[in-house]
Amino acid sequence: MKSPMRLAKAEDVRAIGLAPAAEEERKPRLLAKLKELRGSMRSLAVMLDTCVKCGNCVRQCHSYLGTGDPLNAPPARADLMRKLYRRHFTLAGRLLGRITGAEDFDAQTLDAWLTYFYQCNECRRCAVFCPLGVDTAEVTIAGRHLLSELGMVPRFMQQVALNLQKTGNNMGIPKPALLDSVEFLQCEMLEETGLAVKIPVDQAGSEILYIPSSADFFTNVDTIIGVAKMFHALGASWTISSAVLEAANFGLLFNDSAMRAHNRRMRQAAEELGAELVLQGECGHGWRAARLCTEAASGPVRFRLMHVLDYTARNLGRLALRRLSMRVALHDPCNYARAGDLIDEPRRILRACVEELVELAPNREETFCCGGGSGILMDEMMEIRLKLGKKKAEQIQAAGRIDYLAAGCSICKAQLPHVAAHYGMPDLAIGGVMDLVGKAMDMNRSTGGV
Amino acid sequence: MFFFGYILPYAAAAVFVVGMVRRTWDWLSRPVPLPLTVSSVAGGRRARAAAVAKELVLFPSLYRGDRRLWLSAWLMHASLLVVLVGHTVGIAFAAQQFRYFGASKEASVWLSGAMGLLVGLVFTVALLTVLYRRAANVEVKRISGPDDYLALVLLLCVAASGLAMRYSAEVDLAEVRTYLAGLLVFRASPLPRAWLFLVHFAAVNALLLYFPFSKLVHLTGAFVGRSLLVQPPPVYPTPADGPTAAPLFSQGDRP
Ligand code: SF4
Ligand code: SF4
Repeated sequence: MKSPMRLAKAEDVRAIGLAPAAEEERKPRLLAKLKELRGSMRSLAVMLDTCVKCGNCVRQCHSYLGTGDPLNAPPARADLMRKLYRRHFTLAGRLLGRITGAEDFDAQTLDAWLTYFYQCNECRRCAVFCPLGVDTAEVTIAGRHLLSELGMVPRFMQQVALNLQKTGNNMGIPKPALLDSVEFLQCEMLEETGLAVKIPVDQAGSEILYIPSSADFFTNVDTIIGVAKMFHALGASWTISSAVLEAANFGLLFNDSAMRAHNRRMRQAAEELGAELVLQGECGHGWRAARLCTEAASGPVRFRLMHVLDYTARNLGRLALRRLSMRVALHDPCNYARAGDLIDEPRRILRACVEELVELAPNREETFCCGGGSGILMDEMMEIRLKLGKKKAEQIQAAGRIDYLAAGCSICKAQLPHVAAHYGMPDLAIGGVMDLVGKAMDMNRSTGGV
Repeated sequence: MFFFGYILPYAAAAVFVVGMVRRTWDWLSRPVPLPLTVSSVAGGRRARAAAVAKELVLFPSLYRGDRRLWLSAWLMHASLLVVLVGHTVGIAFAAQQFRYFGASKEASVWLSGAMGLLVGLVFTVALLTVLYRRAANVEVKRISGPDDYLALVLLLCVAASGLAMRYSAEVDLAEVRTYLAGLLVFRASPLPRAWLFLVHFAAVNALLLYFPFSKLVHLTGAFVGRSLLVQPPPVYPTPADGPTAAPLFSQGDRP
């Protein structure tokens, strides 16, 4: 099956610093890069060798369960790379061929890679269920990177990368537009609270550099409002930076150099502004990239690095919150639960903000992905996205009547409304965790916290 | 027969040991540029080692995923381990090991035999269950290749011939023991000619030769793989004396 996903044109790929490979150059380049990558990644090396095909992970993968496509079963997915590896880089594979699962590059190889590596949400649920620690997401992230080295990049990712180059954010918001929307948000908050709650931009000397998701200025404004109100209540010295208005780091999901470049943007902005603490906003994979990759991409660094949910949970005692009378279900974003160590924090926050918190089952480390994970948010992928979201939809349905689904991740927030509408829950309110903090806060009592 | 009895076993053992050491070294010598922590484990290196050990001793991830698979996989591995220990002890003490626990000479031999039989049966049944699952469960069958069956069939040959040896009047266990003990101390003793023993011995050698080139490398790969998932996350600000986060198996290999 060929994926409906649209690829970026060669000149657009060049514009983001990647070199497209001509048809005949593809196989040799892919093999050379695979060899290099395997040499530089212990994870890939061991995972290509050790899967025993026990099948324990198969029915744990929402992508397989939702699409029913056998090649979306994690071991089958990883085999798309493994068979090439066996054929070219193992003695048994070279001598015995198919008996060992070895197969050579052919006309279908790259199509299959594009299709199935981009139907993996990089959610890592399979890794939690693999007795050997095989993380299929690690293999597919490597696969996506290799595709990008051949110049094969989804148009969606290419546009994001281009926007990042130009503006430091995924949506391509230039500074004047940013200032406009900040102005607008401040007016809103003034009207609502009667207080001059600020969203400082590029304020040198601030203690905290807050890195929002750029979507917070369009679709998820309640998230940034919640954050601004909290900072106001705590009397914190904070700022956002127009140079890095993006917690997301799509590079993690398609090209390693792009990941590193965006990570360095964060470091540079923090150093220029003299921030002592960098706080990441509501974005799942962005938190993974910041927390786990900063040291390698930009290190050593002098600032502390924290997630806004962790920061908020630690400051709950200093915020005057009144519980909203709502029944709220929490969705654990994959990268908080399986890379970010953010499992109890959102729960503590929500318990302080709403009357009833419901758990989806399974949850925490075993949470199911929303189906949009790893930036599979392209419109042309909608049909597949809805299938990828099936497991999540079933979980939400099973939770009974809820007033709000709290999903502290911009990708989840972009994906879940489609899923909810498609599976018969068109009226479900979906938003971030910080949104509720903003709504539950009694600004007059909180003010002057510090 | 000289080759079979006195060269092949050493060659197979060498291929197994050298192959596994090289394979494992090959993994461990690669850097870990980006940690892939799934969840960090509180406590230091020891706590992380304990987390890895728990997974590898009890297979909780299989337990959470599929109880039946867990039971057969666990029994398969555990009984194999006992069989290996049993062979070593049985050969070293000529089945007299239970005399140290107060059993008589005859009782010790009987106990040794009975335990071997029991564990051997468990091993065989577990292997058959796993093989059945592989062939009968569509989802598992789809992801299985010839090599997945080959590994099981080899193990089954070893197990079945080993069990059958106990019932063959032709096999003289004392003679087998002398031969094997001789191999261990590099002193040639006559190769037993009982065909069941020869089949068992051939299958073991084939398994050893196949091992480092197959998925059976998960013998050591499991430690490497699981330890990657519990690697501690980096600490910020970066401590003055450099990055503190290090994988379980090596230190300071991150730039
Ligand atoms: S990472 Fe998630 S989507 Fe990808 S194979 Fe594993 S379980 Fe499936
Ligand atoms: S659980 Fe691990 S070993 Fe088993 S099939 Fe999945 S990836 Fe392979």
